Amino acid sequence: MIIMAGTLDFLSVNVWHILMAIGNLLILVLILKKFLFKPVQNIIKQREEEIGKTYSDADKALNEAKAEKELYLKKLDDAKQEADDLIKTASDRAKAESAEIISDARQEAERRRRSADEDIELARKKAAAEMRDSISDMVITLAEQVVEKEIDPKAHASLIDDAIESIGE
Amino acid sequence: MEIEVTGAKILFELPFGITITETQVNMWIVMAAITALCIWLTHDLKVRPTSKRQIIAEYIVKTAENFVTSNMGAKWKWFVPYIAALFSLAMFCSLSSLLGMYPPTSDLNTTAGWAIMTFVMITFYKIKTNGPLGYAKSLTEPIFIMTPMNILGEIATPLSMAFRMFGNVASGTVVSALVYAALAVANNALFGWLPGILGEMGEKLPILQLGLPAILSLYFDVFSGVLQAFIFCMLTMLYIASAAETE
Repeated sequence: MIIMAGTLDFLSVNVWHILMAIGNLLILVLILKKFLFKPVQNIIKQREEEIGKTYSDADKALNEAKAEKELYLKKLDDAKQEADDLIKTASDRAKAESAEIISDARQEAERRRRSADEDIELARKKAAAEMRDSISDMVITLAEQVVEKEIDPKAHASLIDDAIESIGE
Repeated sequence: MEIEVTGAKILFELPFGITITETQVNMWIVMAAITALCIWLTHDLKVRPTSKRQIIAEYIVKTAENFVTSNMGAKWKWFVPYIAALFSLAMFCSLSSLLGMYPPTSDLNTTAGWAIMTFVMITFYKIKTNGPLGYAKSLTEPIFIMTPMNILGEIATPLSMAFRMFGNVASGTVVSALVYAALAVANNALFGWLPGILGEMGEKLPILQLGLPAILSLYFDVFSGVLQAFIFCMLTMLYIASAAETE
């Protein structure tokens, strides 16, 4: 290698220099590819992947939330249904019980009314019998005084009774 | 006053007549800088970015992808690193002149190499799309006599691309050199007549050279350099995409 002093002409053509220019350009292409485009494109690709992952995660979470919401709504519905059932059962039972109580009460009332009626009837009969007796006594007394003779109550009882019967009660 | 406009300085000479000039060395420096920038931008990337560095790196990648796919279609995504390399290399090579380096893009060999790459790809896709016979036939259209014109047209594409970028960057250097020299002359004329030590100082101090070259450099180095890199990439994409289009 010899160090040269000197210059090229302003306009000169040198095949070696042309080839070197081409070679330098192609080397720079490789350098840019390796040191600029590859790393930046890689990082952009990674970022796109990350963004895609974020989106899919968000979609997944949203779907899960929706499913859980459905589940809770369903549970809420079930609970409502159950409460309704409980209330319905309770009210049905209450109705049945009240109906039973009322019918018991009615029966009791009916029974009491009937026994009262019987009592009244009994009392009336008793009163009628007493009245009949006293009336017959009174009639006998009156008749004795009228006929001035003793009437045998035993002999004429049936006669007097018939008379009272025919007068009416 | 003599102004000399030359090409790149030859730094080393290797066997088989291979020479290493400022063009190559500066391009390697630019490539090393781009590599270092890439490594710095993309070290310690996180899925959830926390640094501005990473946002810039992702912005560059997305912009490059949009730039290529909007001009060529989504199926050309694999082409993004080539265009990114072409654009960054062309742009930073032109911008290297801001640091006082010899810009590799003002060497015709550099731009010719890149234009040849474009030409090779254009031709490859034309042949791939239409078949070798179809490509040969397309050169003879609309009539056979037009064949030389068509071949010339094919070659004109890379030639114009190479010379466009080379011309813009190199002319910037030339114009800057001319203006600088002219300002030096004007400076001498303006301050040289001062008596004694003041005159000597006036000749040596580049007072007039202060402002204007900076503005020119802003145009030729920054604006033109970025614009030419953009145009070169744009033409490469459009030519290759239209070559690959099935009709």
